[in-house]
Amino acid sequence: MRNGGRARLLLVILIVTSLFLITLDLRGVKVIGSIKQGSQTIMSPFQRAGSVVLTPVKNFFSDVTHLGRTRSEIQKLQAENANLKSTLINRKNADAQLKQLKSILDLAGTAGYKIVNAKVISNGSSQSFAQTITIDSGTNAGIKKNMTVLSQDGIAGVVKDVYPSSALIQLASDPSFRIGARIAGTQQIGVLTGRGNRSASLQLLDNSTTVKVGEVLLSRGSIADNPYVPGVPLGYVTAVDNSAGAIAQTATIRYYTNFSTLGVVAVVISGLGSNPGDSLVPAKPRVTPIPTVTVFVTPSPTPTK
Amino acid sequence: MLTRQISIAAPIFLLIYAIQEAVISQFRLPGGGFSILLIFTLTWAVLSETEVAAVIGFAAGFLMDLSQSAAGPFGQWTLIMLLAGYAISYIGYGDDNVRTNAIGIIFFVVIANLLVEITYVASGALLGVSSGSFIQVLITLFGMSMWALLVSPILLPIFSRLHALIIDSRSA
Repeated sequence: MRNGGRARLLLVILIVTSLFLITLDLRGVKVIGSIKQGSQTIMSPFQRAGSVVLTPVKNFFSDVTHLGRTRSEIQKLQAENANLKSTLINRKNADAQLKQLKSILDLAGTAGYKIVNAKVISNGSSQSFAQTITIDSGTNAGIKKNMTVLSQDGIAGVVKDVYPSSALIQLASDPSFRIGARIAGTQQIGVLTGRGNRSASLQLLDNSTTVKVGEVLLSRGSIADNPYVPGVPLGYVTAVDNSAGAIAQTATIRYYTNFSTLGVVAVVISGLGSNPGDSLVPAKPRVTPIPTVTVFVTPSPTPTK
Repeated sequence: MLTRQISIAAPIFLLIYAIQEAVISQFRLPGGGFSILLIFTLTWAVLSETEVAAVIGFAAGFLMDLSQSAAGPFGQWTLIMLLAGYAISYIGYGDDNVRTNAIGIIFFVVIANLLVEITYVASGALLGVSSGSFIQVLITLFGMSMWALLVSPILLPIFSRLHALIIDSRSA
């Protein structure tokens, strides 16, 4: 009885205390908030440690709990990733083609050529050792055999065969490719022959003239602009062969066009009718100055004691 | 006697509280999870006299109110746990069928766990604490009960040994 009374008294005291705490908290007494804040300050290092230690375990349980969802989410993300990659590649491709097209239009516009743009849809097989590409425009677009084909930088080749909606282009790098060339400025003429890569051979027709490294070559042009329109940039001289006893001077030329990156080309369907001269000679690359900063420091007199 | 028993039990309760806050709270368990402190307190209450159960209920409730996850006013858990501790001890302590039977203790703890949570929700509603939709509350209550049913048999041997250890130290 005595124990029961004491227990009840204790219970009443504790209940009153609890109600007192609730009342204090509901009335916004700051002491309660401070107690809570203090306990959290003490507990937070333990919680941080627990979080660090238990992260792998949590991840494991999370993976187990969401096994199906995680798997489907991974698959969904993989599919999205593949789509985005594809879009990005297409975008990069489109950007590159746009850049090439812009350059081609600039080139053709300067010369006054009437052109038909076409996309490269196939690179020719190298089994026959021929350097060719296939474009997505043909006779329907007004393209005919033996028309000059331009890249963004200059000559790309010549139309070898044409079909209603496609055409086969013989690249200027093809070993059987021949084009009449003249050196910008000196107007010396010669014949340029492909070598199967980006370099070509130039054979000058006049033995009394000389050629220098760095000189630019342009197309000489054909009768009625067929197969070649005049004034198209071909390349520049990288080496000169001055061997004694040669009938004519020869030189090695590097084409402006990078044949391995052709995405868009333009077929010249009619020339201006007049020779553009040297107006299409590409500008020499400018050396970009590296900015330097000079700092002047005037030493202040140090006090001496 | 009471003071000695409580003073020995206090560090254990603090340790359990720390485990609850630093470890158990790290896991976002489905169905609301469980509170190891709540289960521990209720188990302890079943095995203790009413006075001890009331005091440890008060202390455990106070610790639960200190938790950052406590949404209600400070003292709400204190009051509920105090009453729960006293009530569960009052019903269970004198009944040897409960105290000496592991299944009986687990049954008591799980039912008490559910009733405590219901009381918390109900009193919270009276005090203006939002607990979510009715369906959500039901799901959480069911989930927590299931967790208690799952966890209690695992923890009971540890808790009962700890309790016996303190009782023995009291007797010595």
